[in-house]
Amino acid sequence: MKMKRSTRKAIPLLILATIIAILFLLPLIWMVFTSFKTLSESMASSSILPQVWTLENYTGIFTSVSEAPIFRWLFNTTVITAVGTIIVVVVDILAAYSLARLNVPGKKVILGMIFAALAIPGIVTLFPAFYMFKEVGLLDSYIPLIMPYTASTMGVFLVYNFLLAFPKDLEEAAYLDGASQWQILYHVIFPAIKPVAMTLAVITFLAIYNDYLWPSLVTNSNEMKTITLGIATLIQGSNFVNPAKMMASTVIATIPAIVIFLLANKHIVKSVTNTGIK
Amino acid sequence: MYKGASYKIWSVLMVSPFIIFFLLFWALPLVLGIWISFHNWNVSAGNLGFVGLDNYKMILTSGTIYNDLFMTGLKNTLYFVVISVPPLVLIALGLALIIDNLPDKFKTIYRTIFFISYSISVTAVSAIFLWLFNNNGGFINNVLMSLGMKEAVNWLGEQPYAWLTILIATVWWTIGFNMMLFINALNEVDSSLYEAADLDGAGAWGKFWYVTFPQIKNVGFFIVIMTVIASFNLYGQTRLITNGGPEQSTNSLIMNIQTSVFGMNQLGIGSAMALLMGIIMTVILGLQYWLSYRKTD
Repeated sequence: MKMKRSTRKAIPLLILATIIAILFLLPLIWMVFTSFKTLSESMASSSILPQVWTLENYTGIFTSVSEAPIFRWLFNTTVITAVGTIIVVVVDILAAYSLARLNVPGKKVILGMIFAALAIPGIVTLFPAFYMFKEVGLLDSYIPLIMPYTASTMGVFLVYNFLLAFPKDLEEAAYLDGASQWQILYHVIFPAIKPVAMTLAVITFLAIYNDYLWPSLVTNSNEMKTITLGIATLIQGSNFVNPAKMMASTVIATIPAIVIFLLANKHIVKSVTNTGIK
Repeated sequence: MYKGASYKIWSVLMVSPFIIFFLLFWALPLVLGIWISFHNWNVSAGNLGFVGLDNYKMILTSGTIYNDLFMTGLKNTLYFVVISVPPLVLIALGLALIIDNLPDKFKTIYRTIFFISYSISVTAVSAIFLWLFNNNGGFINNVLMSLGMKEAVNWLGEQPYAWLTILIATVWWTIGFNMMLFINALNEVDSSLYEAADLDGAGAWGKFWYVTFPQIKNVGFFIVIMTVIASFNLYGQTRLITNGGPEQSTNSLIMNIQTSVFGMNQLGIGSAMALLMGIIMTVILGLQYWLSYRKTD
């Protein structure tokens, strides 16, 4: 059977892309296989595949949950990312709608603050915010791990821009039909802004999930750590000398994120498009 | 439409949760940080009195320990910005061009593979690269030695290898995001322009330079700015892979601010440093905007 001309022409490019793809995947493949190596082999081996397969690194994680409660960390991250993302999406959509459509009093001042906040780097508020939570005795709780993300102005900016470009006709028709404010929001606005809401959810989830410095400031106990912070603790702690066990922990920490990423891939791709850059 | 008192109440109700969170968790820490930076302020003991601009003077007077922390951190961070932004932008563009020219049925799979490492947290990335590049028992060294190299490369304990390791880890981790932005920009390029260029007998380079480049220039500029910000915020990789070494050469500015606040217990000086860092970043970004604006004018 003859190959299509376009495919044949693309073969050199496909080979190049495949080589690069292997380079991209190698660290992940190495991570997975190393987690099945014995300690001595993981230190000395120069082959990707284990010669002797072992599950001791994984069973070791289950037996050492008292010093490295990795499943508690996963649970914390689930709670923090879920609650944080939901609050941010709801609060930002309501605010953006109010700003874009309802002519809220003080609109210019609010928009000015949002633009100013976008231009000021996050490092400026980081340590004073830590001190604030320390002074009110809220360190080492879920509150500082969730609430500061709700101050992000990126989401309001995103939804506000989307609404400005979105025609008002449907809302006006619903308004003239006597629909209430909630009905307009629920039946007209929410369905229309679903893609941008999804974008905001993905961006927020990744930001909270990935954060390392902030959780490291506001948590003290092992039980309150996020999975991202927990892995850092392992790197700096006793696992430092055991690459095989370190990789087993890293596998457990990264697999959920990779699965979510692959499932949400379509939305993530869209979200990058939607970040408002054309 | 939307006139009358009831809409006014609705609008205020809907915007107020955001305003409250914004004031509490952004504006208040900002004002508090400025306030603290004018005081001798300990993390543990609290406010020890107003000192005016002394914290800033101390940071900017050479010879003090805080000047050393700030300048070393700033120098290392700027160095990382300079070495990381070009590869993070140019390799991302290269990958996007490869994807754009692949047959359609292969695009999604390769795009996903090049983007997948972006889903991994910085700490997991650090764990992987720490053990790939470890001097002792690291995989790369094991492979190099088995290929006949006599001495292990001191990847994490010697320059320029330490920066190279941080750079490779960062490129692997974040380049997919820039690539996605470039792919989107390339999708928007009008394909009839390529046909016109074909008729004019333009080669691959000519097509890129005269057709593609002008159309993706704005996105490219945006990507440069985003990447500069991201590289300026260097923290996790250098904290976990090299821990600032060798000889503090990879101590980033954020790491040194953290040292001032927690290691030295000086929240006042640390807040002043963070504000100075914010000002430097804003000035650099402002300059970039100004330069690009002037060019397109």
